[in-house]
Amino acid sequence: MSVSKDSIAIEIKDLKKHFKEVKAVDGVSLKIRKGELFSILGPNGAGKTTLVRMLTTVLTPTAGDANVYGFSILTGKKEIVKNIGVCPQVITIYEVLKAEENVEFIAIMHGMTRKEAKEKTRTILEAFGIAGRKDWSKRFSGGMQRRLNLAMSLVFEPKILFLDEPTAGLDPQARRLVWDYIRDLKNRDITIILMTHDMVEADSLSDRIAFIDQGKIIAKGTPTELKEKYGSDNALEVSFINQEDLEIVKNNLKNIPFVVNWSEISRKERKTLLISFQGGLKNLMRLLQQGLIDNIDEVENMKFRQNSLEDVFLNLTGKRLRD
Amino acid sequence: MNLLENKAIQIANKNIKDKIRHWQYLVFSLGFAVMFTLLFYFFLGREVFQYAFPGMIIYTTAAGTTSAAISFAVDKTSGMLERLDTMPTGRKNLFLGALLSETLMISLQILIMFILGYAVLQVPFKGIFEIFIGFFIAVLFGISAVGIGIIISGIAKTPEIANAIALFYYMPILFLSGSLWPFESAIVFFTPPYWAKQVFLQITVLGDGLFDPLYSSSLFGPTGTAQQLPITLFGGLLVVIAFTLAFIILGIIIFQKKTKF
Repeated sequence: MSVSKDSIAIEIKDLKKHFKEVKAVDGVSLKIRKGELFSILGPNGAGKTTLVRMLTTVLTPTAGDANVYGFSILTGKKEIVKNIGVCPQVITIYEVLKAEENVEFIAIMHGMTRKEAKEKTRTILEAFGIAGRKDWSKRFSGGMQRRLNLAMSLVFEPKILFLDEPTAGLDPQARRLVWDYIRDLKNRDITIILMTHDMVEADSLSDRIAFIDQGKIIAKGTPTELKEKYGSDNALEVSFINQEDLEIVKNNLKNIPFVVNWSEISRKERKTLLISFQGGLKNLMRLLQQGLIDNIDEVENMKFRQNSLEDVFLNLTGKRLRD
Repeated sequence: MNLLENKAIQIANKNIKDKIRHWQYLVFSLGFAVMFTLLFYFFLGREVFQYAFPGMIIYTTAAGTTSAAISFAVDKTSGMLERLDTMPTGRKNLFLGALLSETLMISLQILIMFILGYAVLQVPFKGIFEIFIGFFIAVLFGISAVGIGIIISGIAKTPEIANAIALFYYMPILFLSGSLWPFESAIVFFTPPYWAKQVFLQITVLGDGLFDPLYSSSLFGPTGTAQQLPITLFGGLLVVIAFTLAFIILGIIIFQKKTKF
């Protein structure tokens, strides 16, 4: 797809970072559009943090270059740091400062007046559910500290936001709160670079994803494109109340063209059928209708396992993301 | 722009809050100066104490080395330095802010010692003006100690190591400088505390002027065997300033080099 130069937030050109013999980043080229939520997925040591440290001007590349909002990471550090927010994976807050003191400090470092900093701080702390806390940040729960960590990177409304595992260690409720906030940021045209191990997070939030392994981009695209191209088949696991029903369903499956195969699994006395099929949720509905509902009265249990980004990575590299 | 919106002032403000809110650090660092003064008064006796007092002030001021070394090392290892590097903060403001906050804490420490020494324990002094000059010299020496602290924090991998290196530096140097006990050796001239202590002592205790000759490291008074040197107090003060500037510049260079990736 051709993209006009004005719509590009980050353009990475054959970027490399070598630490002696180790090629942490080995010739990465990417274009990330303005307002896009772009996820970088890869196992530990794949090079994603090194890549982002170069884009945020903390690390100097061994070779190559990147433009961040039109400024080269080699020569435009002063301009780049005005436009980016970085939320590190490790919680980096001043523990003996209160939440509002931490956020205000960052706001003033970004050149805001005291009045502006106070207003923005109040708004963002309210959005993250930590307004009104008057105690030191070290007394916050882990989840609250993580939300504060994120609030500190957002208070000055950056044009590009780098999020490194923003929901690691959060409970489901807090995680949803952060996801909602990230979605809201997307609506405000902020470009977000998300690094995460959480496949559900990447799948539900990302516009596009790049898989990185051993310093190289091994695949990129939208979550749907990646799953279609590199993923596995979807699967439906069905346990039957009447064992005769299992034989009826097996006979019916032969006539459904998108069913790839099926196998019987013994679960105590009951038999379970594992059906692999191609296509998405529409085919699942057809399978349920043609294979099951039209022919039998009831099933005991049913599980649907959707083709996931984890499968994509597994198929691309032969290893799991957390290996 | 409002002064409080100045980045260096904000950093200093944050550093001071950090120090004050770690009350154990505050009590024990300021308490150290008091304990040290009282111990020497008790063991040396009043007459020797009054000559040793300037050396004690310089000794406790040197503790600024540890404070600065730990403070910078904590920012380095916690990831805060890297986080600040991704903002338009500028290392210049970071160093300036740290210098401001450390200087303020050192000044507070010196003030406590001055009150204890001159007001409570009645250490004799020439006059209020001389005391002000003495205060200035002690603060100046304190800034040089901060410079050494920055050098150490650049080298040290953790705050604990920074603390150990700082102790390893300033314990021997204070004995080698003759600040705590007379030490007639050319070695003293290579140590910053000697110059600070000697100028301080001659101005505040003897009431010497800036163009009077400087003496060797021996304490004046009952055990003194001081030799006159071919340099004035003003020259000695310039040496203190030179050491201070050199340590601060070297500290910044080393820290920048060691934290650049």
